[in-house]
Amino acid sequence: MSEIQAGEVGMGETLMSVSEVEVHFAARRKTARALDGVSLDWRPGEILGVVGESGCGKSTLARAMLGLQPTAEGQLSLSGGLVSSKDEQQKLRKRVQMIFQDPYQSLNPRQRVATIVTEPLRVQGVAKEKHDERVRRAMNDVGLDPDRYLDRYPHQLSGGQRQRVAIAAALVLEPEGLICDEPVSMLDASVQAQILNVLVGLQKQRGLALIFITHDLSLAWSLCDRIVVMYLGRIVEEGRAEDVIERPQHPYTQALVTAIPVAVPGGGGRRELLAGELPDPTAVPPGCRFHPRCPRRFEPCDRIDPELLDAGAPGQRAACLLHDPAAVAAAGAETAA
Amino acid sequence: MSPLLEVEGLRVTHDGKPIVDGVDLTLAPGEALALAGESGCGKTTSALALMRLLPPSLEQSGVITLYPPGVSKPVNIGRRTETGMRLVRWRHISLVFQGAMNSLDPVQKIGKQIDEAIRLHERSPVTAEVKARITELLETVGLTAGVAGRYPHELSGGQRQRVMIALALACRPSLVIADEPTTALDVVIQAQVLQLLERLREELGLALILISHDMGVLAETCDRIAVMYAGRIVEIGTVDAVFTDPQHPYTKRLLDSLPVIGGRRGIATPIPGAPPDPGEPPPGCRFHPRCPYRRERCDVEDPALREVRPAHRSACHYAPWERWPEVEPVVATEEATK
Repeated sequence: MSEIQAGEVGMGETLMSVSEVEVHFAARRKTARALDGVSLDWRPGEILGVVGESGCGKSTLARAMLGLQPTAEGQLSLSGGLVSSKDEQQKLRKRVQMIFQDPYQSLNPRQRVATIVTEPLRVQGVAKEKHDERVRRAMNDVGLDPDRYLDRYPHQLSGGQRQRVAIAAALVLEPEGLICDEPVSMLDASVQAQILNVLVGLQKQRGLALIFITHDLSLAWSLCDRIVVMYLGRIVEEGRAEDVIERPQHPYTQALVTAIPVAVPGGGGRRELLAGELPDPTAVPPGCRFHPRCPRRFEPCDRIDPELLDAGAPGQRAACLLHDPAAVAAAGAETAA
Repeated sequence: MSPLLEVEGLRVTHDGKPIVDGVDLTLAPGEALALAGESGCGKTTSALALMRLLPPSLEQSGVITLYPPGVSKPVNIGRRTETGMRLVRWRHISLVFQGAMNSLDPVQKIGKQIDEAIRLHERSPVTAEVKARITELLETVGLTAGVAGRYPHELSGGQRQRVMIALALACRPSLVIADEPTTALDVVIQAQVLQLLERLREELGLALILISHDMGVLAETCDRIAVMYAGRIVEIGTVDAVFTDPQHPYTKRLLDSLPVIGGRRGIATPIPGAPPDPGEPPPGCRFHPRCPYRRERCDVEDPALREVRPAHRSACHYAPWERWPEVEPVVATEEATK
């Protein structure tokens, strides 16, 4: 288990870094840029949210981070050391694990829980005499009594219990980081809260770093330390969760936040909604990739592809020319509010 | 005003065990009713029963009466034959279900599929009129007429869900049942589809039964809400009343677990355990094993759904609740919820 405790970490230290990663898919003589130059730091013990619409590249990013998706460009590093060889990738997968959205599909229906949770130990060549103790500890960590559940098959479990088993199988290698791809979106509200409590409990008690990939902005807001917002293969905004969701600085994040259904009667009202849908990733618009849908675009947006610029609170950045004083002055447009 | 739909004592059983256990509802023309609750509480089963679309292994009883506008005789849905139902489905009540966008025929153009829906449910329509209607329908749901010539795979998820709504509207029904219509969609597209449903209600005077587990979606779209638990309605009232002054502990806990952006961050204390099987409910109140407010009566006496405030009903012995007491969260054992 990681010795690093949440909160005692220097800002500079990272569990994983992703630098200028590109993932391309061939699509009928065209190329879809699923990830188009993505960089991020994931700190030890940190809960990092990755949000965006389907097709924005958030799941591809997770797969690329674990080396499950070949990258065209860019680098991954683990605790500052470059991950390049197969050997290092294997090590990476021991320290960083992943769980998926669908607990019905990610467990082998013909294996008992004991086999499913032990499997990672076998694959990573952990000594046999340690298996039993590690498996039982992981089961207890996710709130499943090993004596009752180890002999069951997935079909004998509820959706929430299956997701717990998936988490146990990820924990058994005692990783420092866990990437969760929509871990609760298929579960009911009360079960969701139970699973989230397990995950956040692990982060609090032993500094397990978490990445939450989700399309649910209120969920990301309620439990993440930092959030990155993706659009069409790029990070368009990043910062502390409260800052990004409560005071978004990129027009796209603003549009996403506006679209969140609120549990206030008639709360939707007559809000302005973003028109259209995510463009085809084989034909990324020139300039800022968001400009064709952007309600605040101005003169240079269709020719200048903006970098992430400081905007809003400390540590908050947005890839939007409204935050570039020179561009705004040149266009004579209003400055960002 | 006379109702559009009346449901009395709806029960659905499987091998004699209830899945839906006595549901009463009325719906006014043009009204939007929300059906809320967790999976397995019977919301989808109730909706399918309203259209008599349940699989043969499930048996339904109870009286369902539809009063379609412009039709003098009410329609007794429970008594209709299968052929008779075909004239009710799509003509008077239609359904948009979860993941419906994946149920379009992949090898037929969109226009042809709408054409077929109209011809199946209407007697001898005129071809030229059908064509004009397809164009009109597609435009109503915010698509271009050109979509008629496309195949489903050429459309995005959001566009296909719009096509499904166009299909549901094809025969100009007075009631649309939408079962988790936006669950598979992204937040922006979801908001677009909800706005579309709202606009259609205004323009066409459509009544809507919206089923969702997302309380936010329901609050924004509906006039009244019915909260279901283990096969029964445990609370029903206007959206305003239920959201601001819930009168059943289950509703209260569901609402407490919703994140409110700008408020306090963190995860809500979950409702412990899992909902019971409606076929084998616990004795007394069905919610009592998970209820933090339970008292002696709760595990012996089954509470009836009764009016606790004007037009606001709750199935809790201790309603009306003027103030919710501070409680320690109960830790229900697995046995207690089984």
